[in-house]
Amino acid sequence: MAEQCDKDLAKVSDADAIVLDNVSKVFGDRHAVDGLSLALPQGAFLSIFGPNGAGKTTLLRMLATLSRPTEGTISVLGIDLKEHPDEVREHIGLISHNSMLYADLSAEQNLMLTARLYGIADPRERVDQMLDAVELSHRRLDVVRTFSRGMTQRLSIARAMLHDPEVVFLDEPYSGLDPHAVEIFDQLIDQVRQNRTFVMVSHDLSKGFAACTHALVMARGRKVAFEGKDNIDFEAFASLYRDTVGMGVA
Amino acid sequence: MNKPSTFQQYVTLLRKDLQREFRTKDMLSSMGIYALLVLVVYGAALSQTARQFDVLQMSGGLLWALIVFTSLLGLNRSFSHEKENGCLEGIMLVPLDRSVVFLAKATSNLLFLLVVEVVVLPLFYFFFLTTTQPASTWPMLLLPLLVGTIGIAGIGTLLSTITVNTRGKDVLLAVLFIPLVYPLLYACVSATTVVVAGGDIEGVYLNALLLAAGYDVIMVLLSWVLYDFVVSA
Repeated sequence: MAEQCDKDLAKVSDADAIVLDNVSKVFGDRHAVDGLSLALPQGAFLSIFGPNGAGKTTLLRMLATLSRPTEGTISVLGIDLKEHPDEVREHIGLISHNSMLYADLSAEQNLMLTARLYGIADPRERVDQMLDAVELSHRRLDVVRTFSRGMTQRLSIARAMLHDPEVVFLDEPYSGLDPHAVEIFDQLIDQVRQNRTFVMVSHDLSKGFAACTHALVMARGRKVAFEGKDNIDFEAFASLYRDTVGMGVA
Repeated sequence: MNKPSTFQQYVTLLRKDLQREFRTKDMLSSMGIYALLVLVVYGAALSQTARQFDVLQMSGGLLWALIVFTSLLGLNRSFSHEKENGCLEGIMLVPLDRSVVFLAKATSNLLFLLVVEVVVLPLFYFFFLTTTQPASTWPMLLLPLLVGTIGIAGIGTLLSTITVNTRGKDVLLAVLFIPLVYPLLYACVSATTVVVAGGDIEGVYLNALLLAAGYDVIMVLLSWVLYDFVVSA
């Protein structure tokens, strides 16, 4: 995995995939994200860690255009998220612990819906391709409600990758998966990882750290640490993480 | 990727709602059964009073009470499956105009309500109007029925989006919906009553229809404009 990370670091280009400039999100009088600034190069894999209420998911939702920052600017692939959210949406995908799949539609109907909404040129062929990739072709006509958690998560990867996004957000993707499903999930992510930028929110320190090229630790909406993996000693990082989790929420 | 037209995205979202309902039939069956039960309750409630009260004069009110409460049941359900698994967020990740989501959902709600009305209306006639002598103009009630249902589907879709994430969504939807829909309800009851019981078609009927149609235009446009704000909040 370390070799894989080194290879990915070598792929990082000069251009930044994601730039946050003094970004804040306020709910009432509570700062869920407070003055966050960072730049993430293209091809990087950022893992975001922090205790519950640290602002990780709020940050991810802003990056995924599902929530607007109260202050500051975010750009994804050089596109201002506030000014051109639809342009940003063309280049991003989100895989969450919520599958975003209609439980009463079949696997094929769910993917065809997404493919048609994005305007994919040959939606039928692309859907077949993605169902093959996640090994669900044999269940294509079955409704999602009958799928196991692992199968649903695989289908949600297919849904998120249908339009071939350059930036992929993962919101606690391991939540509710058994070890075998986690293994399959990791293999699928490895398959689609090349030349893409990933941002993952995870409570699993070892998995998140193994996958990443960059790590961000947050607490009370603020950046505690943001480093490239090469500059991080895992033991020191784990200790910082434990101290941060000990800080709890504001 | 070729960015699809707004109309193509509208058709895709509408087809999704129809596919889902065709498979589960949960909105149509729940609204249909509820409407039938209300008719039975009406029958029981009015069985002892038919000689003292003119059912024809009450028919507009009875029919629209039935439609409003049946609609509430359907509207509450129309967004519950969008919330399940975070499906609405999945739609919001797509580069599309938010008003397309509103138009598609309002259209599917309108179609489901009309299907229920097609079933309920003959039954309503059978239960309450066969023993009386409705005016020859009674088929004209189809127009207020259509105009009223458009308004209910439009404003109801916006309100069900607002309330879907609230704790007491069933009650909150009714609390917001009934006062807002009151002018439409008033106009539609007037128009329906006058064509069933007989009366001033040119005056009452047309004025009520104009009021209902005006309400539809204002409220559906307002819902359409506000939808982006509501789903992005």
